[in-house]
Amino acid sequence: MDADVLTQVLTQVVVVVSALLLTSIVVFVGRERLVATAREWRSRVRASAPALAGLAAVLWLNRVMRQAGPGISEFIGLHMTEVFYDIEGEFVLVFQSIATEQLTAYFSFIYVYGYAFLLIFPGLAYFALSETRTFRRLLTAYSLNYVLGLVFYLLIIAYGPRNVMPEELTVTMLYDNSPEYQHLTREVNRNTNVFPSLHTSLSATVGIFAYKTRSSYPKWFPVAALLAVSVAISTMYLGIHWGIDVVAGLALAVSCVWLSDRLVDRRPTAAVRRYLDRRLGDRDERD
Amino acid sequence: MNSESTGPDDGVSRRTVLAAGATGLVLPTSGCVNRAESTVNQDTDRLALSITTVPADGDREAVRIARELEANLEAVGVNTSIDMRSRSEFLETVLLGGEFDLYVGRHPADFDPDFLYETLHSTYANEAGWQNPFGFANIPFDNHLEAQRRASGERRQEIVAELLESLAEEKPFEPLCFPVEHRVARTDRFEEWNHDHPESRHGYLGLEPAEDVDRLRVLVTDSRISRNLNPLSATLRERGSTIDLLYDSLATEHDGELVPWLAEDWEWTTVDGGDDTVGHVTVTLREDCRFHNGEPLTAADVAFTYQFLEDTSLGHAEFASPAPRYRGHVSTIENVVVEGDRELRLETSAGDEAARRALTVPILPENWWRAEVESRVESAMSFTPTQGRWGLVTMDNVPPIGSGPFRFESRSEREHLTLERYEDHFTRREDVDLPEVGVERLQFGIDPGSASSIKRVANDGADFTASMLEAHALDTIPDDPDVEHLTSPSRTFYYVGFNTRIEPFSNPHARRIVSRLLDKSWIADEIFAGQATPTAAPVLEEWVPDKLAWDGVDPVAPFFGDDGELDVETARDALEDAGYQYDEQGRLRL
Repeated sequence: MDADVLTQVLTQVVVVVSALLLTSIVVFVGRERLVATAREWRSRVRASAPALAGLAAVLWLNRVMRQAGPGISEFIGLHMTEVFYDIEGEFVLVFQSIATEQLTAYFSFIYVYGYAFLLIFPGLAYFALSETRTFRRLLTAYSLNYVLGLVFYLLIIAYGPRNVMPEELTVTMLYDNSPEYQHLTREVNRNTNVFPSLHTSLSATVGIFAYKTRSSYPKWFPVAALLAVSVAISTMYLGIHWGIDVVAGLALAVSCVWLSDRLVDRRPTAAVRRYLDRRLGDRDERD
Repeated sequence: MNSESTGPDDGVSRRTVLAAGATGLVLPTSGCVNRAESTVNQDTDRLALSITTVPADGDREAVRIARELEANLEAVGVNTSIDMRSRSEFLETVLLGGEFDLYVGRHPADFDPDFLYETLHSTYANEAGWQNPFGFANIPFDNHLEAQRRASGERRQEIVAELLESLAEEKPFEPLCFPVEHRVARTDRFEEWNHDHPESRHGYLGLEPAEDVDRLRVLVTDSRISRNLNPLSATLRERGSTIDLLYDSLATEHDGELVPWLAEDWEWTTVDGGDDTVGHVTVTLREDCRFHNGEPLTAADVAFTYQFLEDTSLGHAEFASPAPRYRGHVSTIENVVVEGDRELRLETSAGDEAARRALTVPILPENWWRAEVESRVESAMSFTPTQGRWGLVTMDNVPPIGSGPFRFESRSEREHLTLERYEDHFTRREDVDLPEVGVERLQFGIDPGSASSIKRVANDGADFTASMLEAHALDTIPDDPDVEHLTSPSRTFYYVGFNTRIEPFSNPHARRIVSRLLDKSWIADEIFAGQATPTAAPVLEEWVPDKLAWDGVDPVAPFFGDDGELDVETARDALEDAGYQYDEQGRLRL
């Protein structure tokens, strides 16, 4: 019976995000790149297969851990709600002072639709580039965000501000105003997965990539930046994350982008290959 | 930075809190008293407390009470933090581990004040489970608890009154208020909603489904029923409504009275010998009752159940390992004599009034549970069934084998639990004078939010919200002729529990002063939006003596202040009078 509400919300998200994606492809990607992509997509998919498979595996793991996670956390997790709350107190309530109905509607939209769009569009845009490295790096960075995020979620058990300060957040709290979204987020997350904010880290990852690729997609960068900043603020405005989670999310994003640069077609892999070649070569010689 | 509350109506002005000099970062320890090592002033041993409670997803009102208490404790100079645990972990921390300073929660209570026996008797101070989580031990108190068991009628009423008065003085826990239970139901698919208390066994029985309606879609906010159906588990439920559907008991409570259930009849014989009142009850079971696996339910299963709840190791361990639930129920049963397949005699150490709760425990299939115990005995190198926490009392018990009106059909963790009607149940028989199960399938869907649950009932995505709706969501109930808003009084109560084993709450003065930091009337009006009744006693009104009657303020421990606004000076004076000291920055020392 969950299905009814869930299907409804999902359909809505699919329709809205598809519309945003189509518009953006026309505006940002352009005809030329699409024509080239139509021609070369097979080879690009082949080149990106490992990164795609990696992301798929990570998403699958994420799904499995949603069921198994709490059991593991029970043994190894640290209860941190108290610490976060002690450190930052009622910081997130600063957003309550600027709350208006329009802002709540805006941030709710950003948190659900804007975020989904922000994550998917770069995948399409970078796939449309003739070189595949950016695309592969993006997928790798996404995978890293999920994997590292998952590790933190297992280690740190904490509830977000909406669970600690329900009264003060009543006006803007996402699930009070739009209860249907709870069914959606419940499918992908748990209420103790707050540190770090993956909404923030993935959005910031997209933002950093948009900055790096601004020569290819000059118009996309300001849009991505605005959306990424909005997503980060929305998580606090809607009472879902602590300021600390957002800061940690930013740090995670920077780390993942940096790591993706190291991992994709760069020295470590190349060095490992050289090292293996040498070792195998040595052995060959010995043999 | 500390966590002073700055909300506009949280009762403490920010200046007061700042004046109290509440600074210093506190590292959390798991419960207990954290002796905060202040980096600012290392020679102070500041009093630090941790309030354990559940997150707003679990119980929004409990969090708000905890935050109110936190702000007021900070105001009087106590370094306070909130330890937030999921519903099951909260109960684990409080009931099994005893790892807390104080907590805010909702107590399931029971229909007879004898539930206070297991809640407070010193015999249970070191046991894990619902029995005496406070570690409270007080000899005059024990005497009262025992005396009310042997008494009856007006005499018992008097003893209970005395008991409640000394409870209000001693305060191992402080009852705050009884909430009003709100629910919504669709009337186009089922009729007769208001008939019975929805949390009782009768609640699901009399329902009349409309034509072509084959399942009742119930929403619960608590996912625990989809994870564990062990009738012995202390942490996976508060009240036992699902267990009551899957299992039968000899009798069942209806409107405060016991009515025949599995037992078609019983007869009490009480021997009034003053202090040695004992008695026995002769029980006759209904004919041809069977468990869901087809095995017959006999008097031997009933006898086994009482023995098993007293010692879940069935004598295989060095020490008895009593169940973490139903402890008080079975403690009045001294002996069970099986007199036939359907006849048995329970010998009690209490009068019929206090002992009647014993007839409401779920009857378990002997063969099944005995095999479970024995397989654990055989597979273990050394068999150590840790009381209240060992595998048998914590396992998920899916699928459960009971004999109740519903049997297990399927579940998906954190999604749903589906039960189907047990066609052979005695309530289906023509000659049994009980409402029968009208619906074939009972589906409990998990929906964590009150607001979203209401919306789903309104949109015909569900028929009923079984969990108590939270006060904040009540104004989203639509004005729809097909949606009925059900209200019923609750015997469950919100309360603050103190760990009386350790400082500072081993001292009754400390418990009393902290109790006086909460304004129960304000809590009922503001936090519960008027949907609660403040109280000084944890039992239904008919038991409350005049001295404890609520008259706008708490008759024993009135709030330090007015209308939710704490009078910090008075509270601080009271603490000093009780022997506590403040340092030069106005912080309370340990």
